[in-house]
Amino acid sequence: MNDFSIIIQILWTGTAMSTFYVLFTVAFALPLKIAQLWNFAQAGFMGIAFYTMYVAFDRLYLPVWAGLGCGLVATIAFTVLMERYGLQTLRTRHASILHFFIFTLVLSEFVAYLLMLLFGTEPVTLFPSVLSPVHIVANIVVSDWDLIALSTTALLLLALLGFLRFHRDGQFLMAVADNGPLAELYGISAKRAYLVTMTIASVFVCVGMYLFGTRAGIIPTTPLELMLVAVIATLLGGIGRIFSAALAAVVISLVQSFSVLIIASAWQNLVLYGFLFFTILIFPRGFRIPRRIKVAPRPAAGDV
Amino acid sequence: MHYIYSLLVLIGIYVTLSASFNLIIGNGGLISIAHPIFFALGAYTAALFAINFGVPVLFSIAAGMIVALGSSFALSLPALRISGDYLLIASIGFQLGLVQIIKNLDFTGGAGGLGNIPSVLSGETRDIAFAVGSLGMALVVVLIIRSIIRSPYGSAITAMRDDELAFVSLGRNAMAIKLVIFAIGSGFAGLAGGVYAYYYLYLSPDQFEILQSATILTMVVVGGMGSTLGPVVGGILLLALPQAITFLQLPPSIMGPLQGMIFTLLVLVFLFVRPQGLISTKRLHR
Repeated sequence: MNDFSIIIQILWTGTAMSTFYVLFTVAFALPLKIAQLWNFAQAGFMGIAFYTMYVAFDRLYLPVWAGLGCGLVATIAFTVLMERYGLQTLRTRHASILHFFIFTLVLSEFVAYLLMLLFGTEPVTLFPSVLSPVHIVANIVVSDWDLIALSTTALLLLALLGFLRFHRDGQFLMAVADNGPLAELYGISAKRAYLVTMTIASVFVCVGMYLFGTRAGIIPTTPLELMLVAVIATLLGGIGRIFSAALAAVVISLVQSFSVLIIASAWQNLVLYGFLFFTILIFPRGFRIPRRIKVAPRPAAGDV
Repeated sequence: MHYIYSLLVLIGIYVTLSASFNLIIGNGGLISIAHPIFFALGAYTAALFAINFGVPVLFSIAAGMIVALGSSFALSLPALRISGDYLLIASIGFQLGLVQIIKNLDFTGGAGGLGNIPSVLSGETRDIAFAVGSLGMALVVVLIIRSIIRSPYGSAITAMRDDELAFVSLGRNAMAIKLVIFAIGSGFAGLAGGVYAYYYLYLSPDQFEILQSATILTMVVVGGMGSTLGPVVGGILLLALPQAITFLQLPPSIMGPLQGMIFTLLVLVFLFVRPQGLISTKRLHR
C-alpha cells in the first residue's frame, strides 16, 4: 500500500466506523430537538440494548433477527417506561432542568451498575468473533461489516427523513419541536410526540449497539463514553439540527481515525475530549457555514 | 477498632466531598459530574509531592487542594462562558479525559495505580490521628461553606441560582460567582483527596471513575440539596448504610455494583418521593 492508499483506507474505515456514532448522535439529537431534553439516560438505553442482544446471541443462541428484535423490544420498553413514569412526572411537576439532568444521568449510572452486577466488568462482544469477510476493491480493504453498517445507517437516516417530512406523526413531532403549547392548541398531543421520539431514539440506539457490538467489545460503562461522542456531535452540528449532528459524527470519527497517523493509539480517545473543549470554546452554538446574504438593489430615487 | 477508625476517616472524607459538591450543585445550581476527578487531582498531587520531593504532609495536601482549585478553571471558564448547561457536558469530557490521562502516564503509576506513598505515623496512633484529622477537616469545610452561604455573598449566590436573568440585570456578575463557587468546591474535593492518599497509601484511577459521582450525588440529594446540614446527614447515612451489606460477606465483584445500585436507586426514589431531601432548606430557614 502506498501513502495514498493508506489515506483512502483510513477514510473508508473511518466512515464505516462512524455509522454507529451517527446512529447514537441522531438518537441523542432527536429528543433534544423535540422534547428539549438532554437525554443522558441514552447510555442506559445503549447498555440495555447491547446486553439484551448479548444474552439473545451468546446464551440463547437466537438468530440475528430474533436477537435484534429482543434488543429492540427491551430498549423500547425501557424508554417508554422512563418517558411515561419518569419524564412525564417531572414535566407535570414543572421540575427544574437540574432535576431532568440528575434523573437521566443517574438512571444511566443505575443501569451501568445493574449490568455490572449481572455481567461483570470483562469486555464482551455480541458474537465470539468480530472478524468479517473482506474484499479488496481498488487496493482498499472493504469488509462485509462496513457495507452492512453503511447501508443500514443510510436506510435509517432516509427513513427518519421521510418520516419527519411526510408522515403525519413526523410532522406532529416537528410541530411540537417548534412550539409545544401551540401544537397542543391545535390538538397535537405532546405526550404522544415525546413517546414517538423516544421510540425512534431506541431504534437508532439498538441498531447502533448491534453494529458496535459486532465490531468491538464493551463493558457496562462503555455506553457513557460512547454517548459523549453523540453529545459532542450534537453540539458541533448545532442543537436542533439532527442531520447536521449526524454529519458532525462522521467528521469526529474521521478525525479520530486519522489521528492514528500522528498519535499513539493509547492516547487516541483524548482526541475526543479535545474535540469537546474545542467545540465548546469555538462553536458552542454549532458549526454553521456563513450564508451569503443577497442584498436587494436599492430602488433609484426616481422610481419611487 | 481499626474498622471504626477507618469508617470515621471515610465519613470525614465523604462529608467534605458531599458538602463541597453541594456548594456547587445545591447552592450554585451548577451541574457537574467532575467532582471525582478533582478528588483524584488532590490525591495524586499530594501523593506525587510526597513520593518525589518528600514534601511534608500538610504542604502536599495543600498542594493537592491548590492544583484541584486551579484546574477547576480549565473546566469552568470555557463551559460557563456559554451557559450552565454546558458545564455538565464539559464535565463529562473533563472527567473521562483526565482519568484517561492518569491511566496512560508513567509517573502516575498508570492503570496499575500509584503506591509507595510514605506513611505518616503508625499503629493505632495513625488511625486516631487520621480519624480526628479527617472529621476535623469535614467540620472546618462545612463551617466555611455555612459562613459563605450565610454571608451577603451567599445571598448573592442564592439570588443568582434562583433567577440569573434578574440577577444579571441588577448589574451583578453571575459568571464571577459561578467561577468562585466551582473553584472553592473543587478545591475542597482536592483537600479530601490529599487526606485519602495519605490514609490509604495507594491510588488507582478506578477509584475516581465517573460512576463515583453517583455516590457523592446521592449524599447530596438524599441529605437535601442546598442545605448545609443535608450533605453531612447524607454522607454519614450513606456510608453507614452499606456497612450493613458488608456483613453479608459478598465478593467485591458483587459488593461494588450492589452499593452503586443502592445509591443510584436512592437518588431516583428521593427525586420523585422527597425531592427536597431529608433536610429541606425551607424548614431550616423557618
